[in-house]
Amino acid sequence: MATVTAPLPGSVTVHEENRLRISDYLKWSVDHKIIGVQYAVTALFFFIIGGTLAMMIRWELLTPALDVAVDGTQYNQFFTMHGTIMIFLWIIPMWAAFGNYLVPLMLGAKDMAFPWLNAFAFWLIPPAGILMIMGYFAGQAEAGWTSYPPLSTLFSPGDGQTMWAISIHLLGLSSILGALNFIVTIRNMRPEGMGYFQMPLFVWSILATSIIIVMATPFLAGGLTLLILDRVAGTGFFNPAEGGNVIMWQNIFWFYSHPAVYIMVLPGFGVLSEILSTHARKSIFGYRAIALSSLAIALLGFTVWAHHMFTSLTPDLRIPFMLTSMIIAVPTGIKIFSWLATVWGGKLRLTSANLFALGFLSMFVIGGISGVMLAAVPFDLHVHDTYFVVSHFHFVLYGGSVLAIYGGIYHWFPKVTGYMLNERLGKIHFWITYIAFFFTFFPQHLVGMLGMPRRVAVYAPEFQPINVIISFSAFVLGLSTFIILFNMVWSLVRKEKQIAGPNPWRALTMEWATSSPPPEHNFHGEPVPFKNPYGYGTEAAYHYLEEQEKELGPSYPQTMEPHKKPSLVQAHAASGD
Amino acid sequence: MAQQIRDNERPLTRQEALALKNRRTLVTVFQMSWILVFVSLVIVNLQIRSTIQDLPALTPIQFIPPLLATAAILISGWTAHQGVKAIRANQRDTFLIQWRYTLVLGGAFLAVMIAIFIFNPYVGIPQYGAIFRVMIGYHAVHALVIGGWMIQVFRNAQAGAYSPRDYWGVEAAAKLWYFVIIAWILFYVVLFLI
Repeated sequence: MATVTAPLPGSVTVHEENRLRISDYLKWSVDHKIIGVQYAVTALFFFIIGGTLAMMIRWELLTPALDVAVDGTQYNQFFTMHGTIMIFLWIIPMWAAFGNYLVPLMLGAKDMAFPWLNAFAFWLIPPAGILMIMGYFAGQAEAGWTSYPPLSTLFSPGDGQTMWAISIHLLGLSSILGALNFIVTIRNMRPEGMGYFQMPLFVWSILATSIIIVMATPFLAGGLTLLILDRVAGTGFFNPAEGGNVIMWQNIFWFYSHPAVYIMVLPGFGVLSEILSTHARKSIFGYRAIALSSLAIALLGFTVWAHHMFTSLTPDLRIPFMLTSMIIAVPTGIKIFSWLATVWGGKLRLTSANLFALGFLSMFVIGGISGVMLAAVPFDLHVHDTYFVVSHFHFVLYGGSVLAIYGGIYHWFPKVTGYMLNERLGKIHFWITYIAFFFTFFPQHLVGMLGMPRRVAVYAPEFQPINVIISFSAFVLGLSTFIILFNMVWSLVRKEKQIAGPNPWRALTMEWATSSPPPEHNFHGEPVPFKNPYGYGTEAAYHYLEEQEKELGPSYPQTMEPHKKPSLVQAHAASGD
Repeated sequence: MAQQIRDNERPLTRQEALALKNRRTLVTVFQMSWILVFVSLVIVNLQIRSTIQDLPALTPIQFIPPLLATAAILISGWTAHQGVKAIRANQRDTFLIQWRYTLVLGGAFLAVMIAIFIFNPYVGIPQYGAIFRVMIGYHAVHALVIGGWMIQVFRNAQAGAYSPRDYWGVEAAAKLWYFVIIAWILFYVVLFLI
């Protein structure tokens, strides 16, 4: 196997002049690429904190009795902070990282529409995260990430719960500002010749996500304002004893938080479309269907919120919400089948990125099917508030979002840093993650259906054997995270770095039509988009990539070309271009 | 002076035109997004009201001032629009007059809102009185902040800023004031009419 450890001729000069120091990432910058990396590093930091809390939860659940937490309240604090951090400080900011870095590049733009606003949106996140964690010293939030009253009002005496609500307010503002920026950038800054239906599907997914954010997050802002007033100003909007209504919070919260599930997973769909097509060397199947189904999910996502409240909902309303919840599986199914048709018959490269994308496909389908099961009222009433629900949303958010994030990191790390990640480590990371993930979350379906409630530290002894399997799998899953962290650091600091070059995956989207990492204003001259960003296997694509290589220099050739390269033309033919 | 006139007549460059288009899109999408916070408060209001048997009828002294304030803010929208048209036509004096009317009418509206906030007609009804006050206060904060921006625009214009070629500050302030008006109409219907 040919391994390039020396710098590739032609790519070095450009590469070195674009190199940034670590200090460049620690200060205010309006460059979307720096902001993208700032988002990513911040999100990874919080991922480790949230992951540590997950390990403490699983340690606690190794035995049916209290072990780690001193009491139930502390256990409540563990899962409250775990859920909140993973959602608001890991997955959502991580997608903002991908969006910030990639959207302007994919559109051939020099930056986002509003660079200053972009930086401001990012810099709201660290203080919000610190505020939330500092709640530990003021009586940590303990009402779950859903923060249902009266648990979050009358039964959460610590100021940490108020700090939690203010922190979510700040994070919501950050999300809205970021989403506004994406919408304006995508609407107005596409290059000539790139209509909406020539955009990469990742850009479509960010557009759909941004629409959800700007339409749903204001509702959470309104609800949080009232919740804070209940806590600090003596109102009782959510206190039935004073004429308030707890169900009102549930309606407001889920009107935001169900669409928020799509905020967390739609960008993953976009990542998947990019990776599967590129690494299968095949045009994406059903481009328009995938693009429009993102919008359909964004709109239908607003019609399903009350399925989270089937047990407290007026019976007359259960059937309509059951139907809408099932209908939303249709656009998701369109995507799944389109991806399967994309890889079907393709020249699949089982790179780390592609393995994670295929892993996403398999695990997300399980999460999707259990979602349809939960949409059915009779089944939902049976498993409500059990580990079945925990299993379902982890299959969606870990099996979906996190595996897509990993895939995205393996795919775009070479563009961001100029260096390849180690493929062998990547594959080890994938298989450990994939197997450990499955054994962590799949058995939770079983204990859930047997009746083990969620959010309890003390449980019936007959559930212990399965919980032991779950906990040890979770520990392995937690440790597997350090493989990718090590891989990233090692790829940057090792002596014999693997220089990526501009386009190591021989991809057709525009972020690859520049050096790695890209220069300050992204492109050397005016970039011209290839007419079909997924037109792999065509003569035109071959010539486009040929010209690109002449202009920008060669790229890391290990994965996209045969090991024994007989001639350049044959190599290109074999790689499907 | 001649240089300034030439600058005013120069068409926008491609980059300037794009920046303006971006700003206009941003304000439009922001308005569509942020109005939903007001909608969420309306939903809470209606939810709380549905649990109350009989909401006491407002006395004339409680009903007429908000009605007049609504008329004032609607007229202020028209004068703000006239102001934007004037600056676009390079009629600075007309702009200053129209903008001054807008500020006075907006100030009158805000004064009534502060009075309603203090003399809350539903103070005896615990949660409805609270949501009524939250809605009035929340809207007033928006009126105050955007009104402050409009005062700054007025001062800038007095100092010679803005031209037919570059009047984004005026346009943005006017658009946000329209937002305040639309949000108020939404609230007014819910709080005083239905």
